[in-house]
Amino acid sequence: MPDTLPFPPRMGSNAGQPLSRRDGPLKVTGAATFAADNHPEGMLYAVPATAAIARGRVTGMNVAAARAHPGVVEVYTPANRPPLMHDPDEKLGLFGMRMEALQNDSVRYAGQPIAFVVAETLEAATEGAALLAPEYAAEPARVTAETGERYTPERVGFGGPLSVGAGDIEAGLAAAAHRLETRFETPDQYHNAMEPHALVAQWDGDKLTLDTPNQAIVMACGLFAAYFGIPAENIHLRSPFLGGGFGSKAVPTGAQILTILAARELGRPVKLALTRQQMFGPVGHRARTWQTLRMGLDGAGKLTALHHHSTGATSSFDDFIEPAAAASRTLYASPAILTTHDGIRLDTGTPGAMRAPGEASGSAALEVAIDEAAEVCGMNPLAFRLANYAEVEPITGKPYSSKALRECYEAGAKAFGWASRPLAPRQMRDEAGMLTGWGMGTAVFHCPMFPASAEAVIRADGTAVIRTSGADMGQGAWTALAQIGAAALGLDPDQVEFESGHSHLPDAGVAGGSGHTASAGQALHNAGEDAVARLAELASTDPASPLYGTGNAGVLARRGRLYARDDESRSESYAEILARAGKPQVEGTGKGARDPASAETYALQAHGAVFAEVKVDPELGQMRVSRMIGAFAAGRIINPKLARSQYLGGMIWGLSFALHEEAIHDRRTGRIVNADFAGYHVPVNADVPEMEAIMIHEDDPHVNVLGVKGVGEIGITGSVGAVANAIWHATGFRPHRFPVRIEDVLPSLS
Amino acid sequence: MYANEYLTGEAELAEYVRPRSLEEALAIAGRGAKPLAGCTDLFPATDRPALGGALLDLTGVEGLSGITRTDRGWRIGAVTRWAEVAGAALPPAFDGLRAAAREVGAIQIQNAGTVGGNLCNASPAADGVPPLLTLDARVELASAAGRREMALAEFVTGPRRTALAEGEILTAVIVPEPAGRGAFLKLGARSSLVISIVMAAGRIDVAGGRVAEAAFSVGACSPVAVRLPALEAALAGLPVAEAADRVEAGLVVPALSALSDLRAEAGYRAEASVVLIRRLVAGLTGGAA
Ligand SMILES: Cc1cc2nc3c(=O)[nH]c(=O)nc-3n(C[C@H](O)[C@H](O)[C@H](O)COP(=O)(O)OP(=O)(O)OC[C@H]3O[C@@H](n4cnc5c(N)ncnc54)[C@H](O)[C@@H]3O)c2cc1C
Repeated sequence: MPDTLPFPPRMGSNAGQPLSRRDGPLKVTGAATFAADNHPEGMLYAVPATAAIARGRVTGMNVAAARAHPGVVEVYTPANRPPLMHDPDEKLGLFGMRMEALQNDSVRYAGQPIAFVVAETLEAATEGAALLAPEYAAEPARVTAETGERYTPERVGFGGPLSVGAGDIEAGLAAAAHRLETRFETPDQYHNAMEPHALVAQWDGDKLTLDTPNQAIVMACGLFAAYFGIPAENIHLRSPFLGGGFGSKAVPTGAQILTILAARELGRPVKLALTRQQMFGPVGHRARTWQTLRMGLDGAGKLTALHHHSTGATSSFDDFIEPAAAASRTLYASPAILTTHDGIRLDTGTPGAMRAPGEASGSAALEVAIDEAAEVCGMNPLAFRLANYAEVEPITGKPYSSKALRECYEAGAKAFGWASRPLAPRQMRDEAGMLTGWGMGTAVFHCPMFPASAEAVIRADGTAVIRTSGADMGQGAWTALAQIGAAALGLDPDQVEFESGHSHLPDAGVAGGSGHTASAGQALHNAGEDAVARLAELASTDPASPLYGTGNAGVLARRGRLYARDDESRSESYAEILARAGKPQVEGTGKGARDPASAETYALQAHGAVFAEVKVDPELGQMRVSRMIGAFAAGRIINPKLARSQYLGGMIWGLSFALHEEAIHDRRTGRIVNADFAGYHVPVNADVPEMEAIMIHEDDPHVNVLGVKGVGEIGITGSVGAVANAIWHATGFRPHRFPVRIEDVLPSLS
Repeated sequence: MYANEYLTGEAELAEYVRPRSLEEALAIAGRGAKPLAGCTDLFPATDRPALGGALLDLTGVEGLSGITRTDRGWRIGAVTRWAEVAGAALPPAFDGLRAAAREVGAIQIQNAGTVGGNLCNASPAADGVPPLLTLDARVELASAAGRREMALAEFVTGPRRTALAEGEILTAVIVPEPAGRGAFLKLGARSSLVISIVMAAGRIDVAGGRVAEAAFSVGACSPVAVRLPALEAALAGLPVAEAADRVEAGLVVPALSALSDLRAEAGYRAEASVVLIRRLVAGLTGGAA
């Protein structure tokens, strides 16, 4: 951690400090209001009734019984659902998804909303939904690779290309000394943020107030507005706190649209809060993949060819194909690389972005395959990765804007004690007789930016207010963004008020893709500098100011004063400058976006190396991760305390991916049999071992003005492979499907 | 007696009663009210936001909770929480039960869930059952018509089935002065807050370097947790140093009729049971398996 502190003071003194979260006291005292905490006068409760079959039609529902239940105000079914201004079966923009808003009686997956009950109490609405007792004409559910419909999608992820590559794979394979083909399966995973999706809708004429957790506040207003034929500005979306989002809280879903519709029809505020079980289906998930890696290796252990193909599952009615093979595009050097995708349609909800979409599943497969390649070559997995280190981005040949991966390998390996790792598997046991293995994986994540804007106002008393619609999902945006804004303003974070978390503010873009700090942060940085420049202009043109004649560029902002750059004995406080100018405030604005020139010239990626120790019970096959160390280089670290949490959270998710998380479909009904936290396992505290996240210094002048790459997702990548490779090292069994199950390792033990 | 509108909405007003005396409780139970304690099994099993029907909350009944020593042995009130069991000063024979108490869900669950609820819910995976079986526990039942007592092994009659009659409640678990030391091992897919794939409990009394008495039980394998008489007989009289090696599949597996479900296959359960029992024996006889 200390390494991140002594950065050049390009950003003032407070960026780089491990400040505690500014929203922390509100959260631990219960004072933070989450969406479902809002109870406007006269509010009704909405509960969706959900499909118990995965494909077919609803042939009947006992609407009369539901309506007759005391407290039930209205029951919406496809028969009486009021019209919407946008067809729920039409996509809306790049991020919009097709949804179920009772447009017809078809069922496309289990858990789909098929009716919507609104009542005076939550209990009455729930009971009303139960009384509907739907009848179905069910068709066979297609929830397996064998029954799904294979197809070639047009795009993967959000508009990404299906196939990317360079060089001749077959020639590379033909020339190889060793060839390897290896297959992987990854499961369906469901986001399940601590706070399930919730929404409170209130209309006032054609103005709409929405309390709902959202990761892309201004964009979402545009999407919501389209369904109701109102201008986006008419919506005031308030999302001060999110109890996690992980990609599932950016775009509207059917039940949310129906809640808003009911509020309008009934003329009263309506609240929706999904149950944990209702989170499994209609709000996105990370879909299954079936991946194949083909590799050629020369006698020295260098890749001659790398072909990564991924088949991704999506729903029967919309497309989101996990861009899993993309993980192989940028990490290891090879004269021939090809990454390709296709799809399978299943009777499930439509998948979407879930923390590290693409890279999480793709790197899980790639990192195990790389270990297999190292084994074939008889090389230490770290030596093998170094032998195939990409000095420039392999497919494009672009230089990296910065890449301290070698330093990550070195620091992580040293802290872990990797050097004493025996090459062969099954060589180590602990005092209790547990088979012990060490594995590693390389972490990688791209650094996108989203267009963002911000305002900064310096007030008469020398304090400031900064504004942007940022989304704090628990990652710490309230804190890190304020640090950036304060630094640009030459103020302490305590002197800066931060208005954020609602839609009547400049658009902070999407809190996703690990790009929020970079994007919204750059906008705040520019806004702060703009405000300071206006102040400097006032001072430098005022003959009465000690800064007279310095010009705009000739001053430094620090601790609420402007100093002449070449003579720091000349200075004046913000308050003095404004008082003399007779102005109540000066305002600045700023934008954040990727500089197209830098994107054109450089490969922009964050990197890391994760090392894991796993212990396997030789008799029971029980696997436990006992140690994990990750070293990450992700450009400038604005707040090491928050960044550490992001890294550790990512690594824990990697552990979860490797050993626990999986939604299991009943093959007959197509329903998810473990759609709750009793059956859908995530690690508990006792599963999470000693963990360490090491931050590697990386000064990146190209990625953006701030030098920030983003830390939100990279921790998952590399970690899955590290755990799986450690299982191999402990047992000699090579995992090819996730989560790794006891049944998988058991045969290797007896 | 009061109706709780919040629980049910205005529609059906359920009866919810939290009496202080056992007599009152038995009278209400006799009218068909559903007994409840920590509700940690009841709530998850209810797919409505409120429990329906008439409810009898046992948590206020005097004399139903706490652990006492009587002239007939140890008496564990039915409404005793697992947290209290875990922290109780009990003889070493109860070490298995105390270890199991610490494995029921997590601390929040142990603070609410009760021994009686665990037994009456009669889940095949109830962690409390195997250690109590190895303690030769008996259960005390009461209804307005009177009291009776029976062995725990007879009380749990099947998955989610017990010998409780209409209007009857479990008042206490009675453990006659047990000898030796107990232990408990649980195998789950993660480290805590997990439904057992297999759990095993054991108790061994050592005298003169030999196994004087052995009691072993396996749960979560079969519809109902079972004792292992063949194994117990085989261990009895053995020098402690030889006990762990004597554990073999033939003495354990036939008693189980192990099940396959989404948590594990029967074959794995059977194998894992043997491993857990061997480790218990090793631990209780001071050796290492
Ligand atoms: C998250 C979670 C994790 C859990 N983990 C475990 C675990 O690891 N291991 C485990 O064994 N259990 C586990 N449980 C189940 C549960 O906590 C225990 O079985 C607990 O002991 C039940 O006690 P209770 O007082 O909450 O029972 P309740 O839910 O109040 O009652 C359960 C049943 O018993 C009946 N009942 C209760 N008391 C009496 C009585 N005195 N007389 C007659 N009938 C009665 C009720 O009518 C009901 O049918 C878990 C539960 C949850 C929610």
